[in-house]
Parts: sequence; structure tokens; C-alpha cells
Amino acid sequence: MNLMGVIFANIYDSSLGQLTNKRTIASLPFGARYRNIDFCLSNMSNSAISHVGVITKYNYQSLMNHIGSGQEWDMELGEGGLEFLTPFAQGHSGSYRGKLDALNAAIDFLSLAKEEYIVMADGGVLCAMDYRKVLDDHIASGADVTVVVKDGICNGSKQVDLGILLGEDGRIEDMAVDFAADDRYYASMGVFVMKRELLIERTKDAVSHSLYRLERDMIMRGFFTGNMKIHAYKYDSVALFNESPKEYYRNNLALLDWDVRNELFHSEQTIYTRVRNEVPVYFGDSAEIDNCIVGDGCILKGNAVHSVLFRGVQVEKGAQVSDCVIMQDAVIEEGAEVKCCILDKDVRVRKGTKLCGTPDHPVIVERGEII
Amino acid sequence: MNFQKKHCVAMLLAGGQGSRLMVLTQNTAKPAVPFGGKYRIIDFPLSNCVNSGIDTVGILTQYQPLELNEYIGNGQPWGLNKSHGGVQVLPPYARSEKSEWYKGTANAIYQNIAFIERYDPENVLILSGDHIYRMDYAEMLAFHEEKQADCTIAVRKVPMEEASRFGIMNTRDDGSVYEFEEKPKQPKSNNASMGIYIFRWSILKKFLIEDEADPDSSNDFGKNVIPAILNAGHKMYAYDFNGYWKDVGTIGSLWEANMELLGDEPAFDIYGDKTHKIYARNYACPSSYIDADSSIRNSFIAEGCGIYGKVDHCIISTNCIVRKDAVVEDSVIMPNTIIESGAIVRHAIIGENCSICRGAVIGGTFADGEKKEISVVGKDTVIEENRSIAPGEIV
Repeated sequence: MNLMGVIFANIYDSSLGQLTNKRTIASLPFGARYRNIDFCLSNMSNSAISHVGVITKYNYQSLMNHIGSGQEWDMELGEGGLEFLTPFAQGHSGSYRGKLDALNAAIDFLSLAKEEYIVMADGGVLCAMDYRKVLDDHIASGADVTVVVKDGICNGSKQVDLGILLGEDGRIEDMAVDFAADDRYYASMGVFVMKRELLIERTKDAVSHSLYRLERDMIMRGFFTGNMKIHAYKYDSVALFNESPKEYYRNNLALLDWDVRNELFHSEQTIYTRVRNEVPVYFGDSAEIDNCIVGDGCILKGNAVHSVLFRGVQVEKGAQVSDCVIMQDAVIEEGAEVKCCILDKDVRVRKGTKLCGTPDHPVIVERGEII
Repeated sequence: MNFQKKHCVAMLLAGGQGSRLMVLTQNTAKPAVPFGGKYRIIDFPLSNCVNSGIDTVGILTQYQPLELNEYIGNGQPWGLNKSHGGVQVLPPYARSEKSEWYKGTANAIYQNIAFIERYDPENVLILSGDHIYRMDYAEMLAFHEEKQADCTIAVRKVPMEEASRFGIMNTRDDGSVYEFEEKPKQPKSNNASMGIYIFRWSILKKFLIEDEADPDSSNDFGKNVIPAILNAGHKMYAYDFNGYWKDVGTIGSLWEANMELLGDEPAFDIYGDKTHKIYARNYACPSSYIDADSSIRNSFIAEGCGIYGKVDHCIISTNCIVRKDAVVEDSVIMPNTIIESGAIVRHAIIGENCSICRGAVIGGTFADGEKKEISVVGKDTVIEENRSIAPGEIV
């Protein structure tokens, strides 16, 4: 394959608050059994890409544990396979301010590679995409960079990294960064395809001018100065942007919709994740579970409605769960009630406790808390 | 090649045809038959090995080995992908002088003496590939060494009236065996052999060679080798095991063992011991979806399922769909099977990749205490619309 990949594991961590206190956005659990990064890593694997660099800034232990040797994604850890690019891995001092800084720190990794093209992806945008189709379109377009964009994301209030206005012929008419663009704009999915040599050249050039943001300083600057030909690839399947706690909450519950599940999990692309060797879900005699996604190893004896229950969650007899996202191994004790909550891993909600948020402001309980 | 010595090597007998499982083993070796929603029978002895610190396992296969070989692969799901040891699948192979199928359990080990010798083990553990149980072989091995035994056989107490169906070990007060009786008409005790043996390798090797030289032998551990070792005056001990154990060699016992996983206090608590997990090869499938119209009671649901209908007292395996208005009760549904709307399945085992079409009725209900006739649908079968499969019928 003439295409290699780079995944940015933590770019928006600060906007996810407590959920990313101790993990990268890429290792945030999602959809009852996955973590965010499973999607772009599986996309790489399904696109026959075997050489992938995962760029991380901090809090990357859970990410490394999760990916392990990469075998679940049919990748192999090591040079020319799956490589972790941590801030100090290549002797560069300090952390990165933006993606170009990070790429500059990984310049040896990029220079030693043999592939002609590179695809960059964000850990926080979930989709089942075949990057080879983007590459084919990129080559056909003759552009320097192809940006994958999605409609229906910009709404005038969500701040997007890169918003792109397209003319009727599909050509780019305007670009804006870090802007709550209106709904005429397409949102960048953080997926970029270009020639590897060109990326190296432009990265070095930008960093030498003290520029470090990929979207602002390479793409948008290139567009407005005219020294880069930029092409937009419209993605028309499901894409979930997990960039704020509210989006994270809604996107989890969106999986209860068959169409969303079908496009993410039942396309030709399989989404892989780390195996946990759990037992099947046990439904007790008193269980009443409606409209839920359940991960394996759950023990369900109480009631749950319209919720996503991750691996190993226990809902005890008489407990009531509704509109919740409950991460691994959390326990809802007898008679407790939780509504519109995000419970992080290992949370325990004690007997008789009531926790209630609203769909717009779900209550978030940090990892390991006992309430 | 120079191999480091291993303390104990396990040999897992997985070659049986399992003909009493009928259609379920038509194209599948018995140890590869699905169990408990996401497992296959062989996961239990294999996981026991790993959890007991045994990292070298030879799996003896011969009947329909394809699926089993693929399932075991490089042994990675069980942590048995080692460069020294790990798991090896050992089918019978052609030799320069004579080649033959495994004639019996003892002959299967005899044909693989060279494999065992590579690890120069002190002891060899012989296991069966068709039992469901959780056991720490390290404890049995410690007992074997403490007694300085030449052979230790795991036994469990069975009801006296059933003892004549088993191989019975008659022991002295210290646990040493003075007599072994295969299916005795008048049993003297109720210590039934579980088909789990630890042998001192030097002794076993000698007796395997002698057994092979005897043209009248049926080359079986229970019938030939163990009586011969005992008669020669070697030290043989019975090791008591009190945990759950089930031979799943028949349709009835396979169904029962699956059902014994269920309940708030199950007979076999597969959730219970987190330090002694049962490992299995996992396939990438999304989490299960439980619809608002579903009703699920006292059941296991594995990953990748969509449940829209009624499920009561069932094991539903990976990637199954139970459509709206379908009813599944007291049944085991193996992976990748679809139960369509309006179909009714009761007291049945449905094999892998089956479709039970609309309005089909499989099996029946039984009063308490009545003998349950289990209906079985073999792998890759389509049960057409409105067709009836009677209780106990096998298709």
C-alpha cells in the first residue's frame, strides 16, 4: 500500500473536561465496548494501511495499554508498523502546541517512511471510512491536500476546527478556523490526505516561521495565499464528533438508532477493539431492559431504558437507569436511580441514591467515585 | 534445538468424534462445539492450563480438525503463543515406517512421544477436550508431588447408584489406589475418574511403549495403561475434586451444562472467579442491542446480538438475532443464528448459522419432573416457514 497513516490522539482534550482528566481523547471509552481510537485505527487497517504513527501529547498510558501490540487491528508494533510518537521520543524538547509541532517532532518518522501518500486522522471523530476512496479522489483531483468534510455538523454554535464553504461545483469558497460557522459550512473531519514529501516540506517551512497549527497555518494559509491547492471530499455516511461532553453523551445514545449502528458497525468495514475476555451479559429474572446497548460481562437485574451500558456494568435489583452512558464496571446498587448521567469507569452509585441530569446537561461522575 | 526443561506438559485429547452429539458434530470436532454463548468446549481445559501456570499444551486432533485448528491458531487468545512451549496442534502424521490414525487415547500420546521429549518434562498432564469445569491443576500437581506418586487421577464423588457408569477408583485411607474398575456392576466406592491424569513422564513413557507392543491392547488409558501401571505396583493416588464438572458428551448433558450457567446462583458460576477467567477467541462484533419490545429473563446474551423478541432461560450466542414476536425458551442458540418473527423455540439446541423462519415451531414444553426431550437443529440449517420440529427431533 502506498499510503501511511498518522493519528492525532489528543487534540481537544481540554474541551472534554473530567472525561479526559486521566486519558487521551483517543482512549475515551465509547459505545459500550470501544474506545474512540478504535474507529480510525480500524479504518487504517481496513484501508490496508500497515504503517501508522500515533501522536500523543500526554496521559497516554491508557492509550498504550489499550492498543498493546496492535494485533487486534491486525497491526504490528514496531518500525514500519504501528509506532507511538510520544513528545520526547525523538529528542525534541517540550510538548506540542499544535499538529505541525507534533509532526515536526516526528519528522524522522515521516522521513524514513517509504509510502508516497499520508492520511492524517483525529482520534475524536468516529466513522467507518475507507481512506483508499479518499486517496483515489485526491489523486483524481490533482490537489495538494484533500480535506474530508461533513455537512450537518456546523450549526452556528458548535465551534469547529476548520469550517469550509463549498460552491455548487464543489470548489472551496471560504475557510474559517476555530469558528462557530453557520450551517452552510461543512466541518472538517480532521482527515487530510496529501503527499508525504509535501507534508514534510510544508511542516518544516511552517515551524521555521513559528507556525504550528495544521488547519490554520498550513491549510487555511495555503488556501488564502494560493500556494496550496485544496480539495474537499464530502463524506456522506455517519460521522460522530466527540468533542464536548454533550456531544459525547448524545453520540453514545445515537447508537440506539439502527441506522447509526448500521452505518458504523455493519458496513464492509469492521471496527476492532481490544479483547477483554468477559463473559456474556447475564439478564436476571427481574431484569427489565429496553432500548439499550449492552457490553459483555454486564450483570443486569434491575431496570434500564434508553442507555448505553459498557462492559461489566452491574444494575442491581430495583435500580432504575434511564438516558445514561455508564462506563466499564460501574455499579448501580439496589433501588438507586440514575437519569441523564455519564458515569465514568468503576463508579458506584449507592443504595437509594438518586442522580438526575438533563439531556442538555448530563451529570458527569468521575472515575472511581462512590456516590 | 536446545529446549529448556518444563516441569509439566499438558496433552489435551481432542480427537473424539463425539457421535453422541449427533448433528452438532457432523462437521465439527466435539471440543470445537460452541458453549455458553461465546466459548467452545476446549476453552475450559485450555484456560485451566493457563490459569494453572502450564504453558506447554499439545492438542491431539484427528476428527474434523479444520475448524479446531483455525480456532486454536497460534494460541494467542489463551496467552499460549510462546516461542518455547505454547500450544501445538498435533494431528496424526505419516512416518517413514508406518503411519496410522490415533488408535486410542494412549496411542495418541505414544505417537507424540517426540513432542513431549523436547521439553524433557518431569510430569505429563492428560486432559479431555469435552469437559466443562474450572480446576487448578497446580494444586493437583502439588498433591501428586507431595505423595511422590507415579500417577495421580482426579476423581469426584458420584451418587452410588450411578457409580456403575464410571471408571471407579477404589482407594485406601491415604488416597492411594488399590484397584481400578471400569464401569463395575457392583461398585465398591463412588470415586469416579474424571479423565484427568498426571503421570511421572519416565513411567508413562515406559508403559506407552509396552502398551504399543501389545497387539491385544486397545491402546486406551482407562482400559489398558492405568490398570497396567497399577498392576506393576507403581504409586497411584486419587485426587478429590469437589467443584463443578460436567462431561458434555451427549445432547442432554450439553443442554444441561449450558442451563447450569444461568440463575442468580448458578451451578457453574462462570462470573465468579475473576482470577480464573475462561479465555476464548473473540471476534470483532459490536455490543448487543436490546430493543424496547424485547423481554429477557434469566438468560445469557453474548456480543453482537439484536434482541427484539421474548427470551426466557436461554443461552444466546454471539451475533444472533431474535426478531420481534419470536419466543425462545429453555434453549441454547449457537452463534450467527436468526430466529424470525413468530417462530417459537423451546427446549432446543440450535446450531451455528441457522435460520428459523417465520412461524416455525421447534420443541415443546414439559411438566416438572418429566424427561425433557431436547430438539436439535444442526449447523447451517434453514427451518422453513411454519415447519414444526417435534420435541426430541434432530434435524
